[in-house]
Amino acid sequence: MYKNYIKIALRNLTRNKSNSVINVLGLSIGIAGCLLIMLWVSDELSYDNWNSKADRTYRVASEINFAGTHQSYAVSPAPLAQALVSDFPEVESAVRFRDYGSFLVKRDVQNYKEEDIVFTDSTLFDVFDLKLIAGSKSALTEPNSVVISETAALKYFNNEDALGKTLTFDDNEVYEITGIIKDMPENSHFRFDFFVSLTGGQEANNGIWVSNNFPTYYVLKKGVDHKAFEAKVFPHLLEKYIGPQIENIMGATYDEIAKSGAFIRYFYQPLREIHLHSDLVAELAPNGNIQYVWIFLSAAIFILIIAVVNFMNLTTAKSALRAKEIGLRKVMGSLKSNLISQFLCESLILTFLAFLLGLALAHISLPAYNQLANKNLSIPFSNPSFWTIALSGTFLIGLLAGSYPAFYLSGFKPIQTLTGRLSDKKGNVTLRNGLVVFQFLIAVVLIVATMGIRKQLSYIQNKKLGFDRQHVLVIDDAYALGNNKNAYKKRLSEHPSIVMSSYSSYLPVPSSRSDSPLCKSAEIREDNCVAMQNWDIDEDYIKTMGIELKEGRDFNIAMATDSQAVILNETAVKLFGLEDPVGKTIYGSADAGPDAGFASIPLKIIGVAKDFHYESLRENIRALGFMLNESSGSLSVKLTPGNPSEAIAHAERSWKELAPGQPFSYRFMDESFNNIYRTELRVGTIFSIFSGLGIFIACLGLFGLAAFATEKRTREIGIRKVLGATTFGIVSLLSKDFLKLVFLALIIAVPIAWYLMSQWLSSFAYKVNVGYSIFIFAGLSAILIALFTVSYHSIRSAIANPVDSIRNE
Amino acid sequence: MIRTVNLVKVYQTDEVETTALNELNLEIKEGEFVSVMGPSGCGKSTLLNVLGMIDSPTSGEYYFMNQEIGHLSERGRSNIRKHNLGFVFQSFNLIDELTVFENVELPMLYTKVAANDRKARVEELLEGMNIMHRRNHFPQQLSGGQQQRVAVARAIVNHPKLILADEPTGNLDSTNGNEVMRILTKLNEEGTTIVMVTHSQYCAEFGNRIIRMLDGKVVTENLVKQYL
Repeated sequence: MYKNYIKIALRNLTRNKSNSVINVLGLSIGIAGCLLIMLWVSDELSYDNWNSKADRTYRVASEINFAGTHQSYAVSPAPLAQALVSDFPEVESAVRFRDYGSFLVKRDVQNYKEEDIVFTDSTLFDVFDLKLIAGSKSALTEPNSVVISETAALKYFNNEDALGKTLTFDDNEVYEITGIIKDMPENSHFRFDFFVSLTGGQEANNGIWVSNNFPTYYVLKKGVDHKAFEAKVFPHLLEKYIGPQIENIMGATYDEIAKSGAFIRYFYQPLREIHLHSDLVAELAPNGNIQYVWIFLSAAIFILIIAVVNFMNLTTAKSALRAKEIGLRKVMGSLKSNLISQFLCESLILTFLAFLLGLALAHISLPAYNQLANKNLSIPFSNPSFWTIALSGTFLIGLLAGSYPAFYLSGFKPIQTLTGRLSDKKGNVTLRNGLVVFQFLIAVVLIVATMGIRKQLSYIQNKKLGFDRQHVLVIDDAYALGNNKNAYKKRLSEHPSIVMSSYSSYLPVPSSRSDSPLCKSAEIREDNCVAMQNWDIDEDYIKTMGIELKEGRDFNIAMATDSQAVILNETAVKLFGLEDPVGKTIYGSADAGPDAGFASIPLKIIGVAKDFHYESLRENIRALGFMLNESSGSLSVKLTPGNPSEAIAHAERSWKELAPGQPFSYRFMDESFNNIYRTELRVGTIFSIFSGLGIFIACLGLFGLAAFATEKRTREIGIRKVLGATTFGIVSLLSKDFLKLVFLALIIAVPIAWYLMSQWLSSFAYKVNVGYSIFIFAGLSAILIALFTVSYHSIRSAIANPVDSIRNE
Repeated sequence: MIRTVNLVKVYQTDEVETTALNELNLEIKEGEFVSVMGPSGCGKSTLLNVLGMIDSPTSGEYYFMNQEIGHLSERGRSNIRKHNLGFVFQSFNLIDELTVFENVELPMLYTKVAANDRKARVEELLEGMNIMHRRNHFPQQLSGGQQQRVAVARAIVNHPKLILADEPTGNLDSTNGNEVMRILTKLNEEGTTIVMVTHSQYCAEFGNRIIRMLDGKVVTENLVKQYL
C-alpha cells in the first residue's frame, strides 16, 4: 500500500514540475534560513556553558550613584575576592581579572602588540575549566609567571616546547611561561591568549574598596541558596570594609552621604547570563544582546511559518486537480483513513526532500554566513541530538503542512468528483486567504523592520558628532617613542599632507575609561562635585579634532598657568550649575592613596567646548573636562583630504627611526567609530538578508497560488475575453483579489511594525523618527511585489487565445 | 460579409501535428443562416472559432466586412469582436459567479453602455426569453434550456451583426432545442447573420444553406430545400 502512495507521490511530483519546484524549494529555503539562524541563536545561548561549574559561578558587579553620575560597572574592588573566600564559608573559590590593555611582547628582538592579555589570580583554574596541555593548576602562584594559549605558543615558539621559556613585556618585565592551555572556546564572554599572574602586583594587594578595577568571579559550594547568600554579602562588606574607608576619605559616614541620594550597591550576575544580559561599563569584551537573540529567533520562526503556510496553501489549492483520483480511489473501496495517510505520506516525502535540500543549502551558504556573522558556526552533523531535533522537527512540519490538505481532500464525495465540477468550498478559500494575509503581514513587518534598522544605522553613521572624524589617522602606543615624542610630532608636521597632530590620553570614541570627581569647592561633597571624564590633551587636540569652543579660549602652551586650567564641555557646565563659567575655579584631585583623603588642586576654567558625542549614540553625552598634560596614549594626525598612503608611509618611516624595534600600528578614526556599531551593522545586514528571504518565500507562495487561481478561472477568463474584455481588464480582475488581501495585511501590519520599531529604537539615546515614509514605502513595495508576482500568470492567461481557455471544458 | 482564402489551421502538440483547416475557402453573405455539418474532428468548431476571432489561423486570409483580420492583434480582434459578434455555445459558458442578470449585462460593460441603458436592454431581453423571473439566480440554479436562453440573450445583447453558434442544442432536449432554434430563426429574419455548427440534420435545416466539411475542407454546399 505504502509503495503505491510513494509511487503516486513521486509521479505527482514529476508531473507537476513547476508546482513541485515552488513547493519544495520554498520549504527548503525556509528550512535552510531557519537552520542558519538557529545555529546563531544556539551559539549565543551556549556562552560560558563549557564551564562545569557554570551554574554556580557568578560575577560581582557594582552600581554606583555619586556626584551626578549613575553607572553600573562590571568591575569591583581589589580586596573583594579575598574577602569573599575568607568571610563567607559558602564560597568555594574566587578569581579576579585585571585588564591593563595591550602590551608589546617579545621573545628575542621582535616586539608584537598583544591585545588579549589579562592579569589574574592563581585560582583561575578553580573557577574556569581552561584545559592545560602543559604545566599544572598551580601555574600562576609565583610572581612573573604567565600561562599562554596554544596559538600564542605557536606564534612565539613555533614547534619548540614553550614551557619554562620567557617572554618580555613592554621591553622590561620578564615572564616565565608556566603553563599552556588549549585555545579558549569561542563561546566565552572573555577570550585571552595570555593569563599573567597577579601575585606580587601592587594594585592587586592595595586593599582599596572605593576603586573598582577588577572583574571578580566566585563559585558557590554545591547546594548553597544564592538568594540568601546575596542578601548578606553587601551589608557585611559595607560594615566591615567599605564604610570605614569612605569615612576616612570623605570625612562623613556612608549613611550621611546616602542621605543625599548617593549609593554603592553590588549585584551578582550568573555566569551564563553575562554574555546576553550584561552591558556594563568596563566589560572584558563587548557582549551580545538578548534583544538580538529574540529578533533572530522570531525571524527564524516567521520564515519557517511562511514556508509551511506556502506548502499548505499550494497543496490545498492543487486539490481540485486531484479530485478525480480521490473519487476513483473511494469508488474502488478506499476508506477516508487510507486517503488521509496517503496524503500525509506525500506531504512527509516532500518535507523530507525539502529538509535534505535545505540542509545542503545551509551547508553551502555557511562559510559566507559565518563571515557575515563573524562567527565560527558549523552544522553539528555528528551530534545525535541535532538529528533528533531536526528530524522530528521535519516530521512535525510534514504532519502540520499535510494535515489540512489531507483531511480536506479525503472528505470529497466521490459522486461530486466524478461527475460535475468540484467547486472550492467557501471555508477553504477563507482559510487560504487568511494564510496569504498572514504571510504578507509578516512580510510587511519584515520590510518595515529592515528599513527601520537601516535608517537608524545610517543616521548614526552620518550624525554630526560635534567633531570631525574624517581624515584623522590614529597612531597607537605613543609611549613607545619615549623621549622622541616631540621630535616625532615635528617630523610629521614636515609632510605636506599632514595638517597637524596631537597627543592625548583618550579619543572621542568609546573606550574603557573612568570618571573622577571635579568639585566646586576644595572639599569633596556629593552636592558640589560632578563625576566626569578627565582627559589629558596637548595644545593641538581641540584644533585637530575640530571641536568647537562655545566660549573662552583653547590651551596655550606659552601660558604657564594653563597647566592648572581646564576646558569643560557644556554638559559639565550645566551639571555644575555655573552661570558664567569662564574664569571660575574648580578643584580636582591629585592621585590619593586610600588613607590620604582628598588632596585638591585648583583648576581655572578657561573655555567651554560645545558638546560632542564621544560615546556610543546609545548614551547621552556625559560631563567631560580637558586638561593640558603630557600624555602617551595615542597620536591623532589630521590629514588633508586625498590619498593618505604617502603620509602614512612618511609616518611609518619616521617611526622606525625614532622608535626602532617598536611595532607601528595605526587606524583611521572613522573606522574606529564604525566599530562601535559593528554589532548593529552586522545584525542589520543579517536581518536584511533573512527578511529578504522571508519575502521571497512569501512571493513564491503567492506565485504558486496565483497560478491556481488563474487556472481555476481560466474558463471565466475565456468567456470574458470572448465577450470583449481587454488584457488590462483581465489582469486587473485577477490582481484585484490578491491586492485586497495584501491591503488587509498592510492594515494589520502597520501598528505591529510600528510598535516593534519603537521598542528597538528605545535603546538608543539618539534616534530617528520611525515616520510615515517607511510605512508608505513598505506598503508600496509589498503591493508592487504582490502585483509583480501575480502578473506573470494573469498576463499570460490574459493574452492567450480565448479558445484555449474555453476548450478546457 | 465573410470571405476566407486558403485558410489553414494546424494544431501542434509535442508529437502530433493536426491540420484542422486545410486551405479552406468560404464566402458568407450578410443575412444568411449557414449550418455547418460534418463528422467529429472535421474542423467545424475550429472554423467557427477562427470566424469568431477567438482563435487565429495558421495561414491564409480571413476578411470580415472586407477587412483582413486573420492576423490582427488580440486587442484589435477583441475590439471587432465585442461590437459585431455574438456567441452561443453547446455548454452555455455562463460565468458561475455572476447572476443571470449580470451574465447578460457583462458584454455591455465591455462596450461601455450606460448603466440605465444596460438595465433596460437586459430586462427587455430577459422578458423576451421568458426568464425575467430568474434574473437574480445563478446559472447552476437553472435548467439547461433556461441556461441556453440566458446564453442567447447574452450573445445578442450588443446587437451583433453575426451570431456564431456551436451546437447550441447539443445539450438540450427537443422541446428546449426547438425553442432555441425558433429564437435563432427569428433573429435571422430580423437581419442577423448566423453561422451554426450542428450534428443534427433537423436543426441544420432551420438555416438556408448547409455546408458539409471533411478533413478541414468544404466538400459540398447545398441550399436548403425551401430556398431551392
